[in-house]
Amino acid sequence: MAQIKSNKAQTRKTVIAIGDGPAIPSKKDAGLFTAWRVSLVGAIAIIAFLVTFKQDPYLAILKFVPDGILITFQVTVESIILALVIGLFTGLGRISKNRIINGIASVYVEVIRGIPLLVQLFYIYFALGRVVNLPAMVSAIIAMGICYGAYMGEIFRAGIESIHKGQMEAARSLGMTNAQAMRHVILPQAFKTILPPIGNEFVALLKDSSLVSILAVSDLLRRGREFASQSFNYFETYTMVALVYLVITLFLSKIVSIMEERISVD
Amino acid sequence: MSTETRTVMVRMRNVYKYFGQLRALNNVSLDIYDGEKVVVIGPSGSGKSTMLRSINKLETVDAGDIIVDGININDEKTNINRVREEIGMVFQSFNVFPHMTVRENLNLAQMVVRKRTKEEAAAISKELLTKVGILEKADQYPGKLSGGQQQRVAIARALAMKPKLMLFDEPTSALDPEMINEVLDVMKKLAKEGMTMIVVTHEMGFAREVADRVIFMDFGAIIEEGTPEHFFKNPTEERTKLFLSQIL
Repeated sequence: MAQIKSNKAQTRKTVIAIGDGPAIPSKKDAGLFTAWRVSLVGAIAIIAFLVTFKQDPYLAILKFVPDGILITFQVTVESIILALVIGLFTGLGRISKNRIINGIASVYVEVIRGIPLLVQLFYIYFALGRVVNLPAMVSAIIAMGICYGAYMGEIFRAGIESIHKGQMEAARSLGMTNAQAMRHVILPQAFKTILPPIGNEFVALLKDSSLVSILAVSDLLRRGREFASQSFNYFETYTMVALVYLVITLFLSKIVSIMEERISVD
Repeated sequence: MSTETRTVMVRMRNVYKYFGQLRALNNVSLDIYDGEKVVVIGPSGSGKSTMLRSINKLETVDAGDIIVDGININDEKTNINRVREEIGMVFQSFNVFPHMTVRENLNLAQMVVRKRTKEEAAAISKELLTKVGILEKADQYPGKLSGGQQQRVAIARALAMKPKLMLFDEPTSALDPEMINEVLDVMKKLAKEGMTMIVVTHEMGFAREVADRVIFMDFGAIIEEGTPEHFFKNPTEERTKLFLSQIL
């Protein structure tokens, strides 16, 4: 029995970490880097080809959706800012020795991670909409912020825990309070570790932001849907929408990977 | 030594500390006087570091009293941060802040904790970096420094708080042999200036030269204490003799 147990413990150590964000291309990973380039060049080439040689309806679609791209970015940026604030406090709560604070943060993370984002969006807009009537855009940002805040909290927690405990001891032995040590010593160091996963979450959030089209927020997907339902060009419209999403996320993941390289150099 | 006239800096009374089943501190009682230099020796796992770390409450003890400069640190009403301001601590693993330059390492707690202005802090930092012989590295990041240099930065950082007491937890154990002396020299200089020091170390030469008193610990208890003279020439306890014969 003991033998089996220890075997189990050993197999558990093999952790395959796959985030839900995109694979971030790095020069070290030549295969993936090539794939990134092929995808980006391919997507842009297809868009260019379609817009040039099949102007009707592709050019019309391309002219119709940019408003939606702006909304998509607005939702993404505002949600991520909210998520960062929530995530910081959740992360600090999760490492707190205070049982109540720790309990609240942990329950929040478990509850949010256990409910699909789409259901959360519905809940905040339609169910809570009965109590407080929030504009669709605000509901969307709050729902996305709360949802991603839970994941962000785990990133902050892991980042803070990755800092050697001697750093906290040194800061505390100089007379700093726990909060001062966190602010001046631990978080600035943790920030370096958590920036790449935060970038990853940003890209993932941008993709998930397409869910807000359900709430009558005119994001990229919603604009596409509007165009399609007027023109009945479903195939052409959604092809274009997918390609635009692909180009945006490929660009963003590249920016994240450049950022990551810069940090690791310093 | 007329200890009666000297003030007690650290008083430990019947201190116990457990790590699970392990008794890390077993009824430790000890007085350390103002200006005294005490070197603590003993085999690894004997409780030396735990005792040192309990003085600034990096370890919370399970029983007994620890009084530092007249303040009972295990009293719930005591603001431990105010006590720690007065106690400098130097770690085996340096623990300098890698995201700040050497100068910023020294300035930070002066400004945040002591509420000194940037100019006041900078002046004190400069003075101390000169003292530990590392002023020319002031604008470097610690990652670019050798272990010995990092440890001197850590000492200067602790001194910048103008502490009344300095604790050294095996300050040279993580250093390459050629760097040990540069750190010990700084510590000797400090001792000559009259700083109260408690030093956990394996450097017997330092103990012999600097210590007013040597304490030998084993199994969480103080086995024997005395002057270096007594210690290295006529130790009385069998365990002390055995330990010294192993390391000397």
